Amino acid sequence: MSSKIDPITRSVVQHRLSSIVREMGEAMLRTSYSQILNSSRDFSLAICDTRGRLIAQADHIPVHVGALPWATLAVEERFKDVAPGDVILLNDPYQGGGSHLPDVTAFVPVFDGGKRLLWTIVRAHQSDIGGATHGAYNPGATEIYQEGIRIPPIKLYEAGKPREDLLDLLALNIRNPREFRGDLAAMLGAAHLGERRVAKLFSEFGADTVEAAIEAILDATEQQTRAVVSTWKDGVFHGEALLDDDGHGRTDIRISAKVTKKGSDIEVDLSGSDPQSTSFVNSSHANMQAAVAMAFAYLIDADIPKNTGALRPLKVIAKQGTIVWADPGRPVTLCTSHPSNEIVEAIIKAMASSCPNRVMGGWGRRFRIAIQGEDPRNGRNFIWHMFQARPGGGASIGGDGYSSIGEWHTVGGLKFGSIEVAEVRFPLHFRQHEFRPDSGGDGQHRGGLGVALDMVLETQKPAKGNTAGDGARHGPCGMLGGKDGEPHRYRLLSEGREPRVLRTKEVGIELRPGDCLEVRSSGGGGWGPPSRRSADARARDAAQGLVSKAV
Amino acid sequence: MYTIGVDVGGTYTDLVATDQTGRTVFAKSPSTPADQSVGVMAGLDELARRLGVTRAAMLAATDRLVHGTTVATNALLERKGAKVALLTTEGHRDVVEMREGLKPDRYDLRTPPPEPLVPRERRFGVRERLKADGSAAIPLDAAALGDVIAEVKRSGANSVAVCFLHGYLNPAHELAAVERLAKELPDVSVSRSSDVLPQIKEYERVSTTIVNAYVQPTVQRYLTNLERSLTEAGFKGSLFVVLSHGGMAPVEEASRLAAGTVLSGPAGGISGSRRCAEMLGIPDLVPFDMGGTSTDISLISDGQASLSADGMLAGQRIALRSLDIASIAAGGGSIASVDTSRTLRVGPESAGSVPGPACYGNGGLAATVTDANVVLGYLDAAAFMGGARPLDRAASEAAVDRIAEALQLSRIEAAAGIAKMINLKMADGIRLMTLRRGVDPRKFALLSFGGAAGMHAAEVARELEIRRIIVPTVASVLSAWGMLTSDLRYEVSRTHYGTGRISADEVRALFAALEQQAAGRLRSWFRGEIAIERSAEMRYGEQVFEIDVPLGELDLSAADLVAQIEDRFHRRHEELYTYASRGQEVVFVNARVAAVGKVAPGGRDVGEVTSAAACAPRGKRQAWLGGWREVPVYALDDLRPGHALTGPAIIEAETTTVLVDTGDRMTVNPLGWLDITLR
Repeated sequence: MSSKIDPITRSVVQHRLSSIVREMGEAMLRTSYSQILNSSRDFSLAICDTRGRLIAQADHIPVHVGALPWATLAVEERFKDVAPGDVILLNDPYQGGGSHLPDVTAFVPVFDGGKRLLWTIVRAHQSDIGGATHGAYNPGATEIYQEGIRIPPIKLYEAGKPREDLLDLLALNIRNPREFRGDLAAMLGAAHLGERRVAKLFSEFGADTVEAAIEAILDATEQQTRAVVSTWKDGVFHGEALLDDDGHGRTDIRISAKVTKKGSDIEVDLSGSDPQSTSFVNSSHANMQAAVAMAFAYLIDADIPKNTGALRPLKVIAKQGTIVWADPGRPVTLCTSHPSNEIVEAIIKAMASSCPNRVMGGWGRRFRIAIQGEDPRNGRNFIWHMFQARPGGGASIGGDGYSSIGEWHTVGGLKFGSIEVAEVRFPLHFRQHEFRPDSGGDGQHRGGLGVALDMVLETQKPAKGNTAGDGARHGPCGMLGGKDGEPHRYRLLSEGREPRVLRTKEVGIELRPGDCLEVRSSGGGGWGPPSRRSADARARDAAQGLVSKAV
Repeated sequence: MYTIGVDVGGTYTDLVATDQTGRTVFAKSPSTPADQSVGVMAGLDELARRLGVTRAAMLAATDRLVHGTTVATNALLERKGAKVALLTTEGHRDVVEMREGLKPDRYDLRTPPPEPLVPRERRFGVRERLKADGSAAIPLDAAALGDVIAEVKRSGANSVAVCFLHGYLNPAHELAAVERLAKELPDVSVSRSSDVLPQIKEYERVSTTIVNAYVQPTVQRYLTNLERSLTEAGFKGSLFVVLSHGGMAPVEEASRLAAGTVLSGPAGGISGSRRCAEMLGIPDLVPFDMGGTSTDISLISDGQASLSADGMLAGQRIALRSLDIASIAAGGGSIASVDTSRTLRVGPESAGSVPGPACYGNGGLAATVTDANVVLGYLDAAAFMGGARPLDRAASEAAVDRIAEALQLSRIEAAAGIAKMINLKMADGIRLMTLRRGVDPRKFALLSFGGAAGMHAAEVARELEIRRIIVPTVASVLSAWGMLTSDLRYEVSRTHYGTGRISADEVRALFAALEQQAAGRLRSWFRGEIAIERSAEMRYGEQVFEIDVPLGELDLSAADLVAQIEDRFHRRHEELYTYASRGQEVVFVNARVAAVGKVAPGGRDVGEVTSAAACAPRGKRQAWLGGWREVPVYALDDLRPGHALTGPAIIEAETTTVLVDTGDRMTVNPLGWLDITLR
C-alpha cells in the first residue's frame, strides 16, 4: 500500500502532521493559565491512530510522549461509541493508561465522513490535582488515593456538548479551580485546533491517501532506525542506577537493565530491578514504557522521527511488582521524574560498550519545591512550583554538557521562564540565579553546571513548602571514565534558626516571611577520562569561574 | 527626480533608479566586503552612466536613496562584531547563557552548547536591584559600578550592553550606568535594554540588547562613512535603511537600533516579491533569491509576508519584529570539493566576489557552481555581464577537471553533479519554508530572482513538484527594486501599568501619546501622508502570552471603546485558538502604534501583447541537458509580451541567464516577465 504513495506526498503529510502538533503546542503555551504550563511547558501533544500507534508528536517533554499510546489504548478499550464532538479525559495510571495523576490527558477524535481515524491528544501537568497535599506531589502517600482525584477515561463532551456536571465534580476536587478551568480550556482548544487541521489534511488529500502515507512514514522510520542500530556492537550488556531513597526508610533502590542487542533489534529487560516501594517513587506501567523509549530515542539519530516506527526494533521486558512497574493502587506521582531518570541512566550505562560514541554522561535529577501561601499584594492564594535552578546536562563525544538545562526526562524542554515575570506574579525575590561552580563532572568533556539560587520569601504570613525529588545522594553518572556530577544540595536559611538541609521528600515545611531557600542544583556527568581534558579547556573553565579548584 | 534602491549582497551590489515617468534603470557592481560603501559608490557610477548623466548630477537630482545592507547580518553570522561586555544585575550574569533552560532539538544530546556572544568573563554583575514594581530594593552602588567599569576597560571591550532586572519598568539604574560609561569610557558604544526593547522578560531583552551592542559599532561606522561619501559626491536627499520588519528608517535610527537591521538585505526582496504578487495577481509565491554567496527563501501567502517577534539569527534571540526568511549559505559562488570518502560536497565555503569563481580570472582556483554552469554550457563566457566581464572558460574547465579527477568521473559528469547538489540544497531550503510548516509547495509559483536563480529554478521546482516559475525582468536586482516600494515605518509601543480593567480615557491617552511620538518622529524624515496603524497586545488574566489585536477602523471616541477592544480580543482569541472565555478578565498589556509613510510604488512598464508568435533566437549553443543538445539562445531584450516557446532554450539578459528545460513551456506575460510552466 505504501508503495503507491509518492515521496512528495509522504513528505507533505509527515511534515504537515508534525507542524500540526507544533501548532497545538504553541496554542497550549500561549493560552494556558498556570505557570507550570505557560512558562515551564510541562505538556505534550501527539496524534495517535485508533490502534494506539504514535503518528506524530511535538518535541516537548519526552517522557510524556512515549506513554500516550498506552493511554490511547485505554480510551479505545473503554469507549466503542465515540462520536464527532466527543472529548475524552483521563489521568489514572491503572484504569486509564496514565503516567501519574497530575498529568491529565484530553483526546479529541478526528473523523473523515463517518469513519474515525485519528486522535489529537494533549497531555498537561496540572498545578494541583487534589489529594492530601497541594501541588500534586505527596511524599507521604502510601496509596494512590492520597495522591489526588483519579479520572478513568470519561466523556467530558458528548457530541460537542460539555458535561458541566462532570466538570464541576473535577473542579470541586482541585485546590485552584479557576486555574484548572483555564488550563482545561487551553487543552481542549489546542486539541480542537489539531482536529481542525487534521480534518483539513483529510479533505485536501483524501483520507485513504493520508492513511497510506502514514503507513509509509512508519515503515520508513523503522528502516531508518534499524540501519542505525545495526551499526552498534552486538552482545548482552548490563547497567544499573540507584534512587537515593523512597522517603519511607528504604535507601539505594536499584534499577537494573539487561540489554540484548542483536542485529537491528534491541531487547531491554528491567526485571532484575528492586521490588516496589510503599511510596510515590514507584513507576506506572505506561511511564516505564515511556522511559525505555526515551533512552532508546537518545541513542539513535536525533533527526529520526519519534513515532511508533522508530520503536519497532525495541522490545521491553519488566516484572509487575517491581519499582519500575507497581501493583495497582500503589502511589506513583514521582515516576515521571523518578525512577524514569534512573531507568534511562541504567540503559545508557549498559550501552556504553555497545555504542560508546553515542552514550552521554548523566543528566541532572529532579528536586522540586512547591510553595503554597498568600500573596500580600492582592490577598490571593498562590501555589508556586520551582522550575529555576535547572541541573546540568551530561557531556558526550560532542563536547561539554549544557549548563542549567534539565533532567534526563526533560532534556532542555522545560523552560524555567522569566524571573521578572515570576516576581510580578509571586511574592518571591530571586537574589541570585547563576551557574554553580565546580558542579559539573570532570572528564575529557566536562558535565554541564547546575545553578546556585538564593530566593527570599516575601509573604506577610507563613507559607508551606513541599519537596519531591531525588539526587541529593547520587549525582548524575560519569561515562567512560568521566566523573559524576555534584549531587543537589538545598538548604533553608531562616533567621534565628540553624540552616537546615532540605531532604528530597518532605511535606509541610514551615516557611516564614523573609526565609531564604538556598538551592544548589546538580551538575551533569563527565564523558571520558579527566586526564584527556585539554589544557585550553581547563584554562577556560578557570577564567570563566566555572571551576575553582586547581586540578 | 530619482529614487534609488541599493542592495548589497555577498557577491554583487545591485542598484535600481526610477524617475517620475516610471523609467527604471538598473546596474550591478561587485561588492566590496571590506568596506561595502566602496562597491556602493562604484555601483552609483555605473547607474549614472546608464542614465546618461554624471554621478554628481544623478545624486543631486535624487531625493531618496533606500539601502539594504548585510553589514549587521555578516557581523553576526561570521562572528566579526564588537567585543562586547555586559553590565547586569549582580547575581544574574548567566541569563543569556541559560537560555531559560531550553535547548533546540529535544533528542540531540550530543551537540555541545553554542558559544554565547559575550563570554562569562566579560559579563559583570553590578550591585543594584529593582523590584517588580520598579522600586529599588538595592540602590545602584556607585563604587561597585566604578569597579565594574574599570574591569570593562581592562577587558578591552569596545561595546557595552546594559541590562538590569526590571529595567523595562524603571530605567533609572540603566540610565545612570550609561551616563557613567559615557563619561569614563567615551569611545565605547553603549546599548541600553530599556531603549532597545523596553519589555518584560529578561532573557529576550538581554539577548536582543547584546546583539545590538555586538553589531552597532560596525553598522554605525559603515552608515556614517556611506552617508559622508554620498554627501561628498553631491547627494542632498535622504538616506534610508531597510529594517528587518520591511519598513525603512533614516541612518540615525538604524544605527541606534542596529539589531533591527539584521535582515535588512533580504527584507527588500520580500517587499519586491509582495509587489510582484500584486502586479501578477498571483497571491501565493515562493520568493527564491539565489545570489552568489547566499540564497534567501521566504513565503508570500495570500499576498502577505508574515512578521513575528520570535526571531533567531545565528543562534541569537532577537525579539524585535521581523519578516520570516530562511537564509542558506549557498549560491553561485559555492565551492565544490571532494572529501576523504570521495564524496562530492558543494559549499558551505564560497568564493565570494574576490577571488570569485575560477572563470572570473581573479586567481580563484576552486570549482564553483558558476564554473559548473560555464562547463555545462548554460552560461556564455563571452556574454557575461553584457560582455563587460568575459569569463575564462578554460579556467572553469581546469577547476572542474580537478573535481572530476578526484571522483574519477568525466568533466561533464562532475559539472552535472555539482549542479545537482546545489539544486537539492536549494530544494531543501524551500522545504524548510513550506513542507516543514505544513504548507504544500505545489500550490505556489516559484518567483525566481537574484543573479543565479534562473539557471537552477527549473530543476529546483521539479524537485518540489512546483509547476510554475515566474522570472520578472528585474529578476537580477529585485531586492533593490523592492526597496523602492518599502514604506517608511516607525514602530513604538508602551506597556500599560495599572490594576484592574483599563478605562477608555487611559486607552485614548496611551494611543494619543504613542501617535504623537511615532508621527512626530516620522514627520522629521517624511513630508507625505502618514497612516497610523494601532494594535493592542492583550491576554486573559492568568495567561502570560499576549496576542496582537489589530485595532484598525476603531473609533477611539466611542463610549463603549473598552468593550469594543475586548470584543476584538475575544474574537481574535477564538480565531487563533478555537475558543474565547468571554466571562474572564481581559488584560490590556501593550499599546502598539506604527506610523507609516506610504511611498508611491515605482512605475511599471506594461508592454503590449503583440502576438503569440515565436520570436527568433540570436544563436545556438551546446548545452548539457542529460546529453549535449544544440540549444537556441534568445535575448531577453528581444522578447515581447505574447511571445511563447517550448524548451530547451536559454534566455540571456545582461545580468542573468534563464534556462528553459526540455519540454517546459515559456510565455512572456503582459509585464514582459517570463512565465514558465513545467512539463
